[in-house]
Amino acid sequence: MSKTSYLEFQNITKSYKKNIALDDLNLKINKGDIFGYIGPNGAGKTTTIKILVGLITEFQGKILIDNIPLEHAKQGLYQDLGYLPQEVGFQEWRTVEHALKTFGKLSGVNSNTLEDRINDSLKLVGLLDVKKRKIKHLSGGMIQKLRLSQAIINNPKLLVLDEPLSGLDPSSRFQVKKMIKELVKQDVTVIFSSHILSDVEDFATNIGIINKGRLLKIGTPTEFENYYDIGKIIEIKYDEGISPLPDIDLDCIQNIDIGKIKQKIHIKPNSDLDLSISEILKFIIAKKLKVRSFNVLRPSLEEVYLKLVEEDDK
Amino acid sequence: MSYSLSYKIQMKNLSLLYFDELKGYYKSKVMIILWIGLPILVLLFRLLIFLAPEALNMPSTFPIPISSLVGFIISSIGGALSAVMLSTTITSEMNKHIYDLFLVRPVKRHLLILSKYLAVFTCLILATFIAYTIGVIFDIFTIENFGIDEIYDILKSIGSTLAIMSTSCSIGIIFGIALSSVAASAILSMYVGNQLLSVFIVGAVFLSGEMDVFFFQILLGMLLTSLFLVISMLAFKKKQL
Repeated sequence: MSKTSYLEFQNITKSYKKNIALDDLNLKINKGDIFGYIGPNGAGKTTTIKILVGLITEFQGKILIDNIPLEHAKQGLYQDLGYLPQEVGFQEWRTVEHALKTFGKLSGVNSNTLEDRINDSLKLVGLLDVKKRKIKHLSGGMIQKLRLSQAIINNPKLLVLDEPLSGLDPSSRFQVKKMIKELVKQDVTVIFSSHILSDVEDFATNIGIINKGRLLKIGTPTEFENYYDIGKIIEIKYDEGISPLPDIDLDCIQNIDIGKIKQKIHIKPNSDLDLSISEILKFIIAKKLKVRSFNVLRPSLEEVYLKLVEEDDK
Repeated sequence: MSYSLSYKIQMKNLSLLYFDELKGYYKSKVMIILWIGLPILVLLFRLLIFLAPEALNMPSTFPIPISSLVGFIISSIGGALSAVMLSTTITSEMNKHIYDLFLVRPVKRHLLILSKYLAVFTCLILATFIAYTIGVIFDIFTIENFGIDEIYDILKSIGSTLAIMSTSCSIGIIFGIALSSVAASAILSMYVGNQLLSVFIVGAVFLSGEMDVFFFQILLGMLLTSLFLVISMLAFKKKQL
């Protein structure tokens, strides 16, 4: 059964004086999708997101939410939206709890459940023990977690995360990614922008690549992987100290790239891949080679992304 | 129906923002100066006049009603400080994108401005009353025949003081929104705020005899405050955050 389209961007164009930030953007996001919105810095990701959340009101085109135009859906959207901006500060005189209380009330969280929501969202991001602490005493990583916490305070149905991992050290990146993975298990539609593809490839159900305000490609991670035909390549890694596969003379092989501990075997285009794998494996067993891994290579998402952006830049 | 619901939400949110801002401002360093510093300053001035009247060429038997002195000091210092506080807070908060998290919720831009103005002005009203109360206590002990006329003068002075400070606050908001440099908005709001004070005083001098100074200052304060607040709100609406 096909999914329902939840968000629809129709012919969105936005210019800042002479610079075109978004150029006729058309995009559909289904209910329950985890949409990875990828592009280099300045590609138009934040502009798209700011238009969606209502921070930019002057633009051309139309946005539909559940088939209702954005301007009419706004009243309901406020309660269903969670937004983590790319760069945002808090009034530092507030405590963590006070900030969340205000944002919760403004998002329409019922006063009877507000305290529980604050505790739940702080628990999820691991800030429960600093609930009473003033924001000015929080570290950079803690503030990013608080940003995430305010975005989920109202149990949103639509979670918009604009570069949630930028500016974080590796440890905090890992933690925030873990939290987002927890969040997306719930029935939430997520838009997650990043300029680093590996940030989203673990959990995105759909990926859109944008460059210079134009959406270059949209598809599932598998569709992206199959986008470029890099041929049939088998990569074999060996134990350190073991010399790579000796000269192998099989009809299916076109050529071999030999590395220190790994080899890339290029299979002839007209050969059957499964049959070739079987022949190579037989050869390895016969030679009693210690193999660590044996993989059929596919283009990585990162490679597809870079190729798409490079081609577009040309 | 939907309009009235939306209006209700807006009013509810304005009230929430107002009390939040009040909580933020009343403990701020600037407000602490106003709460404590102004009454102390007023008392020091009064003491100086009382102990050394010849220094100011005044008769020793209570030369100037303390209320007028309080009014002048509070208007100039309180107005300038609150204008600087508002302008620097707004500029700095805009630079840090603090308003984004409010504006993605059902909060209209003008409510953010209005809540700040109301919060600071409430603090100023309280600070003014504290300082005037101390002035009145001093007056009672030092002025012979302190009576209803003096109280009427004090109330008029409070009105004029608040009108001037309200105008200073609103001019501070304009610079806070218009400028992206915290230092520039502080300097300009202080400078223009002080210039406005002179408009109130010079205007009153020119009009003396033609119109009650108190009514003139109240009217001018209300007009300028409304004008500056409307300009601020329109500018903030157009501002790219």
